[in-house]
Amino acid sequence: MPYKLLEVDKKIPQRKNHVYVKHCSDPEDEIPDCNTKTVPGSMSERGCAFAGVKGVITGAIKDVIHVVHSPIGCTSYGYGTKRYPTTPDMPNGEKFPIDNFNLKYILGTDLQESDVVFGGMKKLKKSIIEAHKEFPEATAIYTYSTCTTGLIGDDLDAVAKETSEELGIEVVAFNAPGFCGPSQSKGHHVGNLTLFENLVGTKEPLETTPYDVNLIGEYNIDGDLWIIKDYLEEMGINLLSKFTGDCSHDEICWMHRAKLSLVRCQRSATYIADLIEEKYGVPYIKVDFFSTKYCAENLRTIGKYFGLEEEAEKVIESRMEKVAPEIEFYKSKLQGKRVFIFSGGPKSYHLSKPLEEELGMETVAVASQFEHKDGYEKMKSRVKEGTLIVDDPNSLEFEEIIQVYKPDLILAGVKEKYLAHKLGVPCLLIHSYENGPYMGFEGFVNLAKDMYRNIYSPVWSMLEFEEEPSVGENAEVHEDSSEKQETKPENTGELA
Amino acid sequence: MSCVNVIEKDRNVIINPLKTCQPLGAMFAVTGINKGFPIVHGSQGCSAFVRYGFARHFREPSEIAVTALHEDAAVFGGRSNLVAGIENLALRFDPDVIGVITTCSSEIIGDDVYGFADTARGNLKEKLGEDADKIEIIPINTPSFVESHYKGYDNAINALVNHLARKDEPNEKVNIIPGIINPGDIRELKHMLASMDTDGIFLTDISDPFDAPLRPSKTKEIPYYPKGGTTVDELRDSANSLGTVSICKYAGSGATSLEREHKVPSAIETPPIGLQNTDQFVRNVSKFTGNSISEELLDERGMLVDSMADNAARYLYGRKVAIYGDPDLTTGMARFVGELGMEPTMVCTGVKYPDFNPDMEKISKETGSDIDVLYGQDLRAVEVYLKENPVDLLVGNSDGRLIALDLDIPLIRMGFPVYDRVGYQRQSVLGYRGGLYLMDLITNTVLEKYYEPTHWKLQQ
Repeated sequence: MPYKLLEVDKKIPQRKNHVYVKHCSDPEDEIPDCNTKTVPGSMSERGCAFAGVKGVITGAIKDVIHVVHSPIGCTSYGYGTKRYPTTPDMPNGEKFPIDNFNLKYILGTDLQESDVVFGGMKKLKKSIIEAHKEFPEATAIYTYSTCTTGLIGDDLDAVAKETSEELGIEVVAFNAPGFCGPSQSKGHHVGNLTLFENLVGTKEPLETTPYDVNLIGEYNIDGDLWIIKDYLEEMGINLLSKFTGDCSHDEICWMHRAKLSLVRCQRSATYIADLIEEKYGVPYIKVDFFSTKYCAENLRTIGKYFGLEEEAEKVIESRMEKVAPEIEFYKSKLQGKRVFIFSGGPKSYHLSKPLEEELGMETVAVASQFEHKDGYEKMKSRVKEGTLIVDDPNSLEFEEIIQVYKPDLILAGVKEKYLAHKLGVPCLLIHSYENGPYMGFEGFVNLAKDMYRNIYSPVWSMLEFEEEPSVGENAEVHEDSSEKQETKPENTGELA
Repeated sequence: MSCVNVIEKDRNVIINPLKTCQPLGAMFAVTGINKGFPIVHGSQGCSAFVRYGFARHFREPSEIAVTALHEDAAVFGGRSNLVAGIENLALRFDPDVIGVITTCSSEIIGDDVYGFADTARGNLKEKLGEDADKIEIIPINTPSFVESHYKGYDNAINALVNHLARKDEPNEKVNIIPGIINPGDIRELKHMLASMDTDGIFLTDISDPFDAPLRPSKTKEIPYYPKGGTTVDELRDSANSLGTVSICKYAGSGATSLEREHKVPSAIETPPIGLQNTDQFVRNVSKFTGNSISEELLDERGMLVDSMADNAARYLYGRKVAIYGDPDLTTGMARFVGELGMEPTMVCTGVKYPDFNPDMEKISKETGSDIDVLYGQDLRAVEVYLKENPVDLLVGNSDGRLIALDLDIPLIRMGFPVYDRVGYQRQSVLGYRGGLYLMDLITNTVLEKYYEPTHWKLQQ
């Protein structure tokens, strides 16, 4: 049977359907159960819908104010979550006056007991007006419902409409209270719908070209987007709108004018690409820029669409020339290393094959906090026989996977990293990265380098005190690190 | 005549908060129990965000369960989530204590957590027999829309002692309620107690749980529990101690309860930051135990005094310092800054508490400097204030790093969270030795920022 009840799940047997071992004779549609309610008290790693909308979708936008309508916690926690840098460049060529505005400020209504009893709408209205006064330079104001305001029934849309008219600035309400949906994924969906319904089609771009694209589902984690932007621009393609890495509010308003949408994170943002295609006829393609092979393949596809094949080849060639020797080096080091990828969503299928094919590693387990059916189908198609596929793993399962599958490296988040370390296994941050960006050709080198650094950090060979050090082992370590010094190529993958 | 000018928030909207909601404080408190497991009765974000925050600050695992309320629970109540959550946790993780922590959602829905906990206890009894009695299930009410994380911490400590403390033979120990502080701070407190031949019961002790060694061969796996933390037996025994010292004025309820219920006398003070606050801590412990201050501690005090004599007047005198953060740490720090001859010209706390402003008045009198007190304010208020009223140094958590950068004021990192530097959680700012550490940090920052690197003034 492909479904597996882990030892630690004996008391919560419903988890069996979420844990799956790939077997070649399985029917194709057999995948782990997913996007269902979390088992209470299981120590799931999932977050809430509010985290999905503010933390992933809107938090990357450079020129809007976020007013969280909540008791103080959600506002505090919504501050400075992901690493998505922005430039001050606005579409009209001007500079936004506050650097890193999206990382610098978060606003909230700090609801008190009396607000819970009598309703918080008045306070929200006042707060939005004050927010505008405090940051008049902001293009728009986004406000978020949370568990409390969802439960007491505050009508954020009404307040948004009222304040928008009063202030003459767009105010958009996002209704994704923390309890809605099984995970943060619900918040992504609400974010997409809200932005589409309220913004897309409401403004016209300053200029258009025949090569305008939307880059959707790319949040510029650690500068990922800037890498892809360079490739596309070198090919002659214009990023009309980004959704939402390093993007401005207005860009979303004219997404309907692109010739093509490219969907990068297909879990969190295919929704809006679908909606734009349906309403405005803008086609989209799903793209994958992780690793040299996928990146090259997808640049070629985009080049073909626009008749820019040669330009795509030039980009690929110039980058490959630069990164190929480095990748060769890291491949020699990472060959045969067992890796467990535990991503939020799609990175498990973006990375599983490239790590195997381009770096010679072995993907022994993949897992995701909030993927849906389509994601797991892709995940299954991209791993080999015997690989473990887990939906929403909890911390005991995480420990059992470490014990049984003995990975040399785990790619996961900060909540998992230190537990892995305590169990003696290096763990690299894959949600927000360590020394990224990880996307594109140069990014893949950064990822390989970070994996190499983590696995080969000398500490892992000295975890325990030894009465009588075994000479052979230590000698090997030294030899290894000296070899590293001698043969490691120049650090060309690092971005300036 | 020096005076305090209290500046309260003049807007509704909060911008870059200096506080968070109650559940965090309770999660922190329960993490300090040996084999203690917090379970948050709320949405997944309520635990995920806090775990993220703890992991980022302590660089340690932070295992906090959640009942994962979804829409159906919002409509029909969270009974099945909580009962199943407690059972799943108990059966799979074998904890000694489960702290059931409420949130805004569960409080608004009106879930009867006490009743649900009883149901879970009954179910566990059926499944585990007598073993079920070994698991203490303790509900802690922490409505997120009332006060702040300090209130949640206070409520949790109070719930723990109310639930567990049992009168028995006197134990010659001193209870310490440490507040929301770092592992390094707790270790320093332990050192001071040991130096005074005193055993402490920490209510609770996060020092090992949030700063555990990496020793795979000694690490219990499946489930992973860090070593250390206050044991259930110690929590029970807290009723038999000589006294309780709460070094967090905002978390005195547990001490008051122990005094009322079990006649354990209490002292509730500002944390021992700097010379006089540490003296007071030592006197409090000494009062309860009858043990006088040790030579060792007197020497440590002397070393701090020596360093103050050597360096304070020369490098620090008259420099203006702005301090922001949690109320107890800022109060302690303001006084210490004054002891060093500097002026705490602005102190900001996001948490409101009646003692805060009177304490600032005392410090103002003592130091002779005017203090602008940003009371119940936020980091945006600090930023706006500092643009008009520049200072030489800023003391506070990592959330102020961009303000410090924009205004070109060096930031001395202190409090929670510190995530853009390493090691701060291991250092103590408490005690005489913590004072030395802080003073060195401050002095070196001043030397780096305000002295030309090639200048002859740095020659000796």
